Amino acid sequence: MKKNLRQAVWGLILVSPSFLLLLVIVVIPIGRSIVSSLVNESGGYDLSRYAFLFTDKGMRANILFTLRVTVISCALVLAVSYSLALYMRFSSGRLSEWIRKTYMIPLFIPGVIATYGLMNLLGNHGWLARLLLPLGIDLPRIIFDQKGIIIANLWFNIPFATMLLTSALAGIPASIIESAKDVGAGRLRIFLQFIFPLSYKTFLVALTFVFMGVIGSFTAPFLLGPNAPQMLGVSMEQVFGVFREHEQAAAMAVFTFLLCSVLGYFYIRNMAKEESGRL
Amino acid sequence: MRWYFGAVGPRRIIEFLLLTVFAVFFAGPLLNLLVLAFSGQWAYPHMLPDQWSFKWWNFVLRKDDVAHSIGLSFLIAAMVTALSIVLCIPAAYAFARLRFPFKRFFLFSFLLTHAFPKMGLYVSIAVLFYQLNLMNTLLGVVLIHMINVLMFMTWIPTAAFRNVHAAQEESARDVGATPFRVFRSITLPMAMPGILVASVFTFLNSLDEAQGTFLVGIPDFKTMPIVMYSIISDFPSSAGAVFSIILTAPTIILLLAAQRLVSADVMASGFQVK
Repeated sequence: MKKNLRQAVWGLILVSPSFLLLLVIVVIPIGRSIVSSLVNESGGYDLSRYAFLFTDKGMRANILFTLRVTVISCALVLAVSYSLALYMRFSSGRLSEWIRKTYMIPLFIPGVIATYGLMNLLGNHGWLARLLLPLGIDLPRIIFDQKGIIIANLWFNIPFATMLLTSALAGIPASIIESAKDVGAGRLRIFLQFIFPLSYKTFLVALTFVFMGVIGSFTAPFLLGPNAPQMLGVSMEQVFGVFREHEQAAAMAVFTFLLCSVLGYFYIRNMAKEESGRL
Repeated sequence: MRWYFGAVGPRRIIEFLLLTVFAVFFAGPLLNLLVLAFSGQWAYPHMLPDQWSFKWWNFVLRKDDVAHSIGLSFLIAAMVTALSIVLCIPAAYAFARLRFPFKRFFLFSFLLTHAFPKMGLYVSIAVLFYQLNLMNTLLGVVLIHMINVLMFMTWIPTAAFRNVHAAQEESARDVGATPFRVFRSITLPMAMPGILVASVFTFLNSLDEAQGTFLVGIPDFKTMPIVMYSIISDFPSSAGAVFSIILTAPTIILLLAAQRLVSADVMASGFQVK
């Protein structure tokens, strides 16, 4: 009994400093920004800051643009990452060994650098345009366009999603797949009945991270996105830093939270379930 | 040639082509910067630079704010890493080994750092920092860097501590070692790889952080990525390429040093419970 009490006290003491930091840098700011997003021009409280998001033409275009880029990016990233993770799990050889060793490198490359590299490679008169010129291929406009943002999102998110999915697929015992093969199940059956059900939770985690990563992105759309419409991250920075309308910026931040809230909720609930299974 | 392709089969060829596209997609931008950094003159539409030279290296290294930003970035990254080790490792040990009330609630509260889109969270923090007068201060910048690392700095070491077998600790206790001695000579060394990976990742994350610093650290805290923003818009692309290499070098060096420790499994434990 005494030992339990001591453990409880020590546990709380060890956890509290980092938890307090979490309160200061996440919980309190979010709470306060919800409050300040409700403050209107004359100092009273209403929803006018949110109404502006949907009535202002430029802002509406930004929101639609952000959603379009996000959905396209998520679909492409997850399709490529899942195939890549499957390929690495089930094929051996020099090529897959080689990918296994290198695919995580982009995770560690600074975002600004990768974005800058993409700008130079894909830009007007960039390296790719020069290399394709003798072949008579003319590149469409990629940089300062939606395509550029999507390509940058692929660059940043494919390695991360692949990393999560690889680790999930590695957890599927080879014996399950072997025995399914023994009783004559085809590849598609094995995938649909064993591999996907055993990894779809991680698939959701990856989706959550990519979705939030893209909605909350700033560097890539800031450097290589079009001037209008803008991604919400860029527009938010402008409203906060250039126009100094802090309440409006807070309302935009809260709006992006709402966009992500469903996925965020499922992510936390999923993790909590998983964890209670182990305790 | 034909007999060769016939022998390897169409499947291998498609595989090979796809992987080439993949490699070009990921390596292309970086390779382009490497070539640009050593080019003196490169007129359109030539495929390779007309002239190779180091002149942009001279130009970039002579600029005062470049040297200053390198020092500042490393100072901030070191502070963030030290602070997160001090705060998170004890919590990780508690999560892995101790029983205490609301343990799950505390463990999952760290998910909050990754349950919101980053730029939205940063703007919320900036609104608060503005009211607290933390804008344009070192403390403000360090705190905003902590957001990104708090979760995996707690979770990766938690997973690492859990993987240390309790039986080993118990047998050390049985021969009379004190709890602190057990922690220092058994638990900590065995969990060290996980802690190291988390620390390296934290350091690099802070070194590369651009958007949060841009929001709360302007105009006095110009870290390397922030200087990069202005170099991109003000100088020719070769100057930007040189600075890119300077900015990426620490990443490459640390990554090579920690190469054996970094695996998908260890990294993934920082973002999900397995």
